[in-house]
Amino acid sequence: MIMTSVKLTPLARIELCAPPQPNMSSRMNSTTTKIPPDENELITKLMRGDDQAFRQLIAQHHSLMLSIARAIAGDTFADDVVQEAWVSVYKNIASFERRSSLKTWLLTIVSNQAKARLRKESRQVSLDQLDGEVPGSYLDGAHFKADGHWQQPIPQWNTESPEALLEERQLQCCINRTLNLLPPAQKAAFILRDIEQQSFDDICKILTVSATNVRVLVHRARLTLMQVIDRYQETGSC
Amino acid sequence: MLSCKQVAAVASDYLDNNTPLKWQIRLHLLMCANCRRFVRHLKITRDISAKIVGEDASVNTDVIWKNLQAQLKKEKLPDRE
Ligand SMILES: [Zn+2]
Repeated sequence: MIMTSVKLTPLARIELCAPPQPNMSSRMNSTTTKIPPDENELITKLMRGDDQAFRQLIAQHHSLMLSIARAIAGDTFADDVVQEAWVSVYKNIASFERRSSLKTWLLTIVSNQAKARLRKESRQVSLDQLDGEVPGSYLDGAHFKADGHWQQPIPQWNTESPEALLEERQLQCCINRTLNLLPPAQKAAFILRDIEQQSFDDICKILTVSATNVRVLVHRARLTLMQVIDRYQETGSC
Repeated sequence: MLSCKQVAAVASDYLDNNTPLKWQIRLHLLMCANCRRFVRHLKITRDISAKIVGEDASVNTDVIWKNLQAQLKKEKLPDRE
C-alpha cells in the first residue's frame, strides 16, 4: 500500500479545478515552444510601447513568474515581487536586446527581484535546504529491503496509455491540485523543466540552486505526481 | 550491479538522459520487471503532467495592469513637482 505523500505546507493553496478547456492541447503546444514564432512581432510592439501587447505579456507569463517568486521569496512576498518585476519590465523593455528569449529575460528579472527582496527582508535563502525525504514517497527507505530491492511490487496501472489518461478529467484535477500543494521549490523546478522545457543550467541560475538540487527537486515532484496516478488507478479519485 | 533503490533515485536523470550510469541502469532494467514498470510509469507521469498542467486561469490581467500603472504614476509624481 503506497500512501500519497503530498506535504501540506500552511501556505499551500488548494485551487479548485477549472472548467474543461477545449483548446488546451493547442494552447500547451504554443507555450512549450521555446521561442514562439510570433515573439519578434510581440517584442517590436512592446518596444514601441504598445499597451495591449504588454497586457498580453502579463496574461501569458504572470502565473509562471508568480511560481518563481514563491519558490525564491516565499508566499508572503511573491505578489509584491512580481508586481515590482512588471514595473521593471515596463521600464526596461525598450532596451531589451534580444540576446535571450523574452521568457528567459522575464524569468531573470523576477528571479533577481525575488532575491533582492529576500535580502531586504534579511531572510535566509532556504531553497538549497531541500525538504528532506518525505515519508511514504518512493524514495523513502521503507520502500526497500536491506539489499536495496523493492519491498513490494510497483503497483500495476489499469491503463498505461498516455492518450487515455489525458482524457480523464478527474485525474487532471488531481494532478493540478497536487502540483499546487507541492513545496514551492519543487513546483517551480517542475514547471521550469517539464512544462517550460528550460535547460538545467538556466533553472540553476533562475532558482539559484545547484544542478544536483534542481534534478532532485524535479525528480521528487515527478514521483509525487506518479503516486497521484497510482492512487487514481487504484481508487478512481485523488 | 545497481540496486532497485539506486535505480529509483536516478530514474529521472535516466529519462532526461542526464546520467553516466545509463548502461548500468539498462542492465538492471533488463533483469528487473519492477524497475521497468517504475521507470515506465515515471515517464508517463512526466509526459502527461506536462500536458495537463495548464496556466493558472485565475490571472487577472486587468488588476495587474492597473497596479502597474498606479505604481508608475506614483514613481513619476516627484519628478513633476
Ligand atoms: Zn529493480
